Amino acid sequence: MSTNESTETVQEQIVALLPRLRRFARNLVRTPHDADDMVQIAVERALLRLDQWHSDARLDSWLFKILRNAWIDEVRARGRRAKLFMPEEAGEHVGEASMEREIDRLSVEAAMTRLPHDQRLAVSLVLVEGLAYKDAADVLDVPIGTLTSRLARGREALAAMLRPEGDLS
Amino acid sequence: MIVSDETLMAYADGEADAATRAIIEAAMREDPEVRRRIAEHRAMRETMQGAFSAVLDEPVPQRLIDAARGRTAAPAGNVVDLADARRAAASRSPVGIRSRRPAAMAASLLVGVALGYLGLHGASPLVKTSPSGELLAGAGLAAALTNQLSEDRSPGLVAITGLSFRAKTGDYCRTFSLAGTHSSSGLACREGDGWKIKVLAQSPPAPASSSNFRPAASDDPPAVRAAVEESIDGEPLDRAGEITARQAGWAGKSNR
Repeated sequence: MSTNESTETVQEQIVALLPRLRRFARNLVRTPHDADDMVQIAVERALLRLDQWHSDARLDSWLFKILRNAWIDEVRARGRRAKLFMPEEAGEHVGEASMEREIDRLSVEAAMTRLPHDQRLAVSLVLVEGLAYKDAADVLDVPIGTLTSRLARGREALAAMLRPEGDLS
Repeated sequence: MIVSDETLMAYADGEADAATRAIIEAAMREDPEVRRRIAEHRAMRETMQGAFSAVLDEPVPQRLIDAARGRTAAPAGNVVDLADARRAAASRSPVGIRSRRPAAMAASLLVGVALGYLGLHGASPLVKTSPSGELLAGAGLAAALTNQLSEDRSPGLVAITGLSFRAKTGDYCRTFSLAGTHSSSGLACREGDGWKIKVLAQSPPAPASSSNFRPAASDDPPAVRAAVEESIDGEPLDRAGEITARQAGWAGKSNR
């Protein structure tokens, strides 16, 4: 990142990734507004550290990692007691369930909030964001075997919750 | 054939290597249960993708776009007043993350803005940050602020100084402009041994035919002019006043 031009190019790439960063953040924190705050913190940090990003690396993974680390910092700073972060048993905040056609989607979102956050992050990065296992493992700073195992357990738990005969209520 | 669920999952996700793929595809041909489990994994993947896609169609808040471009939500888009940015950071989210640590957030925000404007990342002779996160003039800019008189327009300077004045705080402050096509202008005030940058704003691009520097302090961006008007005590220093202040090391009331 040695010239203004390349900095501006990366900045525009970050702008293009904002929708996905917002989506990922919503799987980390409780409300859309707080999720956007996390995105803003992550983007500001990323700009300060542009020299640490190598253009052969995926920009999205790099940003997800900064966002995830920013979230961890927040969790630590707040002593793990805050309701800002998704409680593992609460799906009521995801929105109005009034429209029939939204019930499916809300069920999936509600099910996600019930996953332990390790599994939720693995599912979010691989299944929602479409990252390769090795990139997702890198974002989470775990070996690929750990990522695979979290993903498998998360999927299994989701499948159990979303199964038609399953009891979500 | 027994295939572990993790292996089937990896196959469904396109993560299996060629040898594993061959084994699983053989298993799929002979075992409907394997086919069913792979279909389940793929269906799960589709479900998860679709479930969270609504946010992708939402308009992205302008503050995030500005942050990605190294700007804060200043009214003119290109102009950043540090005090405004601080207030905005503190007030934007009364129950959100920012209000819980406004000082740290404001500091990182401002540094990000400044570095974004200057196109600088890492060590710079023009801008540095104090251990507490404040934005200070780096060696090159500090030397210009300490030594140059405002009439100095010699070629090759890293920065020119515009207006010098005594602020209501008793400190000396000076406006400055940095060289370059992405030039920035700002206001710095003497505090202790350093120059603390109070405002940094991007100057309009200079016409290609002109010199690197904009000609006069009166061309300072509105945010800089406003900061001067807000903080100035009395009249700007003339040449004799600048020389006297320089001889005293620009020492104001707060650092005598």
